[in-house]
Amino acid sequence: MELLLQFLSNTGYYLVDYRNLIMICVGCVFVYLAIAKQYEPLLLLPIGFGVLVGNIPFFKGFGIGIYETNSVLHYLYFGVTSGVYPSIVFLGLGAMTDFSSLLAMPRLMLLGAAAQMGIYTTLLSALALGFTSPEASSIAIIGGADGPTSIFLTAKLAPHLIGPIAIAAYSYMALIPLIQPPIMRLLTTEQERRIHMPEIRQVSRIERLLFPVAGLILCCFLASASIPLLGPFFFGNLLKESGVVDRLANTARTAIIDTATIFLGFTVGASTQADVFLTSKSIGIFFLGAVAFGIATASGVLFAKIMNLFMKQKINPLLGAAGVSAVPGSAREVHLVGLKSDPSNYLLMHAMACNSSGVIGSAVCAGILWSFNVV
Amino acid sequence: MYGIAAITAKNGWAMALAGSLIVMAGLTVLALVISQLKKLAEFIENRGKNPSLPDTPPPADKKTPTFDFDEVKVRYQLMAQQLGESFELSRLYQLANESGFPHVHLSIRSLRQAGILVPVAAGMFSWQQQD
Repeated sequence: MELLLQFLSNTGYYLVDYRNLIMICVGCVFVYLAIAKQYEPLLLLPIGFGVLVGNIPFFKGFGIGIYETNSVLHYLYFGVTSGVYPSIVFLGLGAMTDFSSLLAMPRLMLLGAAAQMGIYTTLLSALALGFTSPEASSIAIIGGADGPTSIFLTAKLAPHLIGPIAIAAYSYMALIPLIQPPIMRLLTTEQERRIHMPEIRQVSRIERLLFPVAGLILCCFLASASIPLLGPFFFGNLLKESGVVDRLANTARTAIIDTATIFLGFTVGASTQADVFLTSKSIGIFFLGAVAFGIATASGVLFAKIMNLFMKQKINPLLGAAGVSAVPGSAREVHLVGLKSDPSNYLLMHAMACNSSGVIGSAVCAGILWSFNVV
Repeated sequence: MYGIAAITAKNGWAMALAGSLIVMAGLTVLALVISQLKKLAEFIENRGKNPSLPDTPPPADKKTPTFDFDEVKVRYQLMAQQLGESFELSRLYQLANESGFPHVHLSIRSLRQAGILVPVAAGMFSWQQQD
């Protein structure tokens, strides 16, 4: 009888806390959104199920939980805390990305830079709310709208905040269709949304081969702390563009990135144990994440409008919203908002140029913020 | 410590200003460099050519399309059939890229201009049989 009672006292039913139940509900919502609404299912499904796994109550000391050394989950989580998974994801992203449109219209790169202003505005807001400098930097990078970059920087600067920051970053990325269009419409006129972009010229193979090398050298000489992200990113792109290692490029953009995404999402989800996740800091992080995302979108749009004051050939200001690095979600939204104003306005390729610039920009920002906090 | 005092104490103004200037300057330089890649690429491509030969291609080449439109039509029709009655151009673009077709953007544009890919609803297109 005593053995039975002891067993029962170790079960989840006995150990459960109301906070576990809240997080289990959150996990179920993520799984629902991924499957029923298809909001970023590649991210939300692993994260949502990870939240469920991470919030099953268990008897501490058995080496089960993600924060207990020697547990299986802890070993898998090492890929997050060490920054390994984000680097691998960047390798796959590089092997997927076609920079032709950016090479054809290099001025669109400035929109990717402008959208990073959301990061620095949020940095100031987070510092004002009392977060430490490393914490504020990790929260600010949510404005880059890049999950792997957010996780990478947080793992380096504020590992105790990985859970809330990753969940905030990925949640806002999934909510792009709800967050970005109202800001785009608010800041642009109907006439501006109808601006047609010029046809993109054909880009030669040599240009596409030179770009990853030039990009790596220029970006990493400037912000060497971004090497772990931009190194694999440009390497993946060179694999793709070289045309001589199709097997490697194909593996990088399929099996490798998929494997890393599964473990990244699942372990980040599992890291949201209620006692670690449900804190007042998490609420602040979610609030600041929304601010970061909104300001990043607005900065890109407004910068495009400023560029139009000086340029003969006008840019559709909607493209500025694609300067955040949520690939390809924000490019798709820009395209759809443009189509609503003019069904013959095809902005997708130009928006993808801004998007890829945003990926580079947010990785550079992560390197800069990391350096600032180490110095 | 909170508010402006916290930002000042933690060197926030300098971090934000320097950070935004660095990323803006860095990407501007990168944009300038990649705007010159076309010239460098042309230089590399022309390096092996005999300088005594005229640079301009024969006039007949000027109007020759870089791809066979009929072949493009056949290839893209097969993909459009896979995508169903109506589809997003981005899906067609992605599929064409994955299949390794050359000049995907140019091909889709030509198909649109030829009235083969026709918008049917917001963001959706359908394949109109021309035969």
